[in-house]
Amino acid sequence: MNKQLKQFAIYIILSASIAACSKSTSTVVLPIAALSVKDIPADTVVGLSAQGAPITNGKYTFYSLEKNAIVPNTDSASTKWDIAFMATRIIINGGTSGAGQGGAFVYTGLFDDLKIIPADSVFKTDNAPTSYAITAGSGKGWYTYDGLNNLITPLAGRVLVIRTASGKYVKMEITSYYKGGATLPASASDMEKLTKQRYYSFRFAYQPNGTKMF
Amino acid sequence: MKKYFVILLATPAFLNAQRRLINDTLQMQGDSVVVTANRTERKLSNITVPVNIVNAKQIQQAGSLRLTDILKEQPGLNMTSGFGAGVQLQGLNPDYTIILINGEPLVGRTAGVLDLNRIALGNIKKIEIVKGPSSSLYGSEAMAGVINIITESAANIPLQASFRYGTNETIDVGINNAISTKSFFYQGFYNYFTTNGYSIRPNSNSRVTTPISRYTLNQQLKYNINDHSNIAVGIRVTDEKITNDISVSNGGATINSLGKEHNTDQNISLSLNHRFSNQLKTSFRTYFTEYNAKQDLITITGAPYYDLLNHVFKRLENQTDWNVSKEVNLIMGAGAVWEGVKSSRYDSEQIRRTNTIQYAFTQMEWTPWKKFIINGGIRFDKNEAFASAFSPKFSALYQLNEKHKLKLSIGQGFKAPDFRQIYLDFTNAAAGGYSVFGTAQAQQVIENLMRLGQIGTLYDSYYQLKTLKPESSTGVHLSWEYEPTQNSFVSVQLFRNDIQNLIQVQQVGAYITGAQIFSYLNIGRAFTQGVELEAKQKINNHFNLSAAYQYLTTGDKDQIATIKAGKVYTRDANGYSRLLLLSDYVGLPNNNTHKAQLKLNYSAGNGLYANFRMLYRSNWAVNNTNGNEVFDKGDEFAHGYISLHTSVGASYKNGFAWQTGCDNITNYMDPLHLPNLPGRTFFTTIKYQIFKK
Repeated sequence: MNKQLKQFAIYIILSASIAACSKSTSTVVLPIAALSVKDIPADTVVGLSAQGAPITNGKYTFYSLEKNAIVPNTDSASTKWDIAFMATRIIINGGTSGAGQGGAFVYTGLFDDLKIIPADSVFKTDNAPTSYAITAGSGKGWYTYDGLNNLITPLAGRVLVIRTASGKYVKMEITSYYKGGATLPASASDMEKLTKQRYYSFRFAYQPNGTKMF
Repeated sequence: MKKYFVILLATPAFLNAQRRLINDTLQMQGDSVVVTANRTERKLSNITVPVNIVNAKQIQQAGSLRLTDILKEQPGLNMTSGFGAGVQLQGLNPDYTIILINGEPLVGRTAGVLDLNRIALGNIKKIEIVKGPSSSLYGSEAMAGVINIITESAANIPLQASFRYGTNETIDVGINNAISTKSFFYQGFYNYFTTNGYSIRPNSNSRVTTPISRYTLNQQLKYNINDHSNIAVGIRVTDEKITNDISVSNGGATINSLGKEHNTDQNISLSLNHRFSNQLKTSFRTYFTEYNAKQDLITITGAPYYDLLNHVFKRLENQTDWNVSKEVNLIMGAGAVWEGVKSSRYDSEQIRRTNTIQYAFTQMEWTPWKKFIINGGIRFDKNEAFASAFSPKFSALYQLNEKHKLKLSIGQGFKAPDFRQIYLDFTNAAAGGYSVFGTAQAQQVIENLMRLGQIGTLYDSYYQLKTLKPESSTGVHLSWEYEPTQNSFVSVQLFRNDIQNLIQVQQVGAYITGAQIFSYLNIGRAFTQGVELEAKQKINNHFNLSAAYQYLTTGDKDQIATIKAGKVYTRDANGYSRLLLLSDYVGLPNNNTHKAQLKLNYSAGNGLYANFRMLYRSNWAVNNTNGNEVFDKGDEFAHGYISLHTSVGASYKNGFAWQTGCDNITNYMDPLHLPNLPGRTFFTTIKYQIFKK
């Protein structure tokens, strides 16, 4: 009994000193603050044809995660953008999509739980038109499509892990595909479903130091 | 036949009027005879499984026209919309309840749903609802239970005619006539129903309930060859024409279409019954039924769309009932079924897809002592097109004393894969070009498409495709019935159904265009469980009160396993993902946790009556909106609601009767989730009958 108690005491002291030691020696890693972005248009519906079919411009919206800003379409050939959106299609600046070092994959799990990108992760690159780093299609990549009610909903528990055009790492969670930040109710009118769709809301964390830690 | 009927009617000898007093007293659990539970006549007090009986008076006083009208007011049942009105029994979908008319099954289901609006109630004597798997007697489809509609067989109404007019230009005309001599019995029923339908979305050319005109004809003949033998023929025909103008929105483009549907449902049964002695009787039955559905749709753009379904079902059966002793009753039966379906949704509408079934069943009821009844049965179904099924069942009743009764039943049920799940070959050009292929040809069709370079991706599920097994369930029902006084009745029933090998539509791949390809797999495991409470109270000679409540929980066992494994996510108020907790899970969609009803009946004693009925359903999940594949509290729900109904009427000794009523008094509407519920409607019925002396 006495011996056990002694051992326990030693264990407590030892672990306390180890903890103290590690605190003093390692550099403190502060979590990267997540930024929220709302209602980024992605080839939104600009009108209706005489038959009532939606009309869009058919253009991507380019985005710099480093600058947290939209990049003009005139810079589409540059490495100034990291990710671009057109309806449900997402492209990454790399592979067939751009001159950057970009790549990405979809991680299943929670945004906050992803503190380190696993070492064995494979970053895919765009290889249009056969495959994309972020797979399109209902239930396959980042969203599901409800054909009955004509609604797109981002899958819960999906994190887009992105390597930017300049080789930095980003984790991103898409929260909505509709203007205002929430999927419309099924009862919304067809017109509302058409005009309020193709607006991305997301949050992301950008690690500027090149490491895979957030 | 019709000519014969007219001549007979015109003969005054057959117009013997008799004054029949209508007995208005409500019997608590009056000891009526039940035929469905045991496949033979048994007193309700000796039935070992949960049964509800709806009699003609209840149907008539509720002002119900179609089977759906009355079933929605029964405890434990719920009506579904989509592909017609189906019935959900203790949380199980319409596919899993067999619908019988005089013991013979109805066919012609669309997407598993048999449209119960097809069945007119004008000549119904009673409806028996047996809850719990009953495949041990009825084979496939009797997984959740059995609903048996028993037509009038009493010959004391030579002629009865009724006319009803209601909201939405709804007209119902019915004629009942019966003729009987010592050895001959004839009954005829004719019904015409028409409605202009209604549209609950403003400015819509789509009608939620479509304009319908529907004829029903029912003829029954029975001839007593001698004191021991009789021969009976039954014919039933329903013919409906539906005008269905619809608008389909696809990618913002709206296509208006003019649709015409023509459905016919006809069946004929012939039975030869012989009683060797009071202990032994046998019956040979043949049954033929055919369902034809034709749908023509012409879009404004001129593109035609056409859909055809033809389902034929033939059966030959023998059943022998043997009362071995006072304590032991035995039932034995065997039969064969030939079934065939042609459909434009299969690869060729010219080829009839067929299945044959041979089956045998037996059931023994043993009464070791007066207060204790044990019942055991088993059935074997040998299917040509898919795996065979064994369906055992055991049930028992124990009468503690005059007031208390306990019942336990444990049974297995199954539902054979239906033709569509095996042979469907359907591509919906109107809605994005998705395809659904039945399992018999899915792999071959997809391989062919692959050779043509049309397949974009194939999923793992494609490689899992194989011959479908029947879906099966195990059900346990435990009930306690209590009659404290002659005027009161209370029952509590606990139930649980475990379902295996659920057949579910699964995406197996995609075309190059991205359009989805679906097929069917035996992948699901689910359960439904709950409590059903019923209470009836005779307040005085004029008032009766009845109440019922059902608490129901359901779940997909595989989904629960993935939730427990921490693999299912949902979103918080910010739209950020979080883990889904088991407490967020709501189970299967389209199920109400709470369902209640309250009915107050008044009878003046001189033929005048009135009633007031209140039905309640709690919220139910309708749409997955938060980005996971399961239904949870963050999804879209339809609001729970209360609907109120009333009717008042009287029947007089001279044969006249009238009734007027209002359904959905509060005008509750939810066009999106309750397309079958019109707003407030009124009706008035006038009826005249000639009584036999």
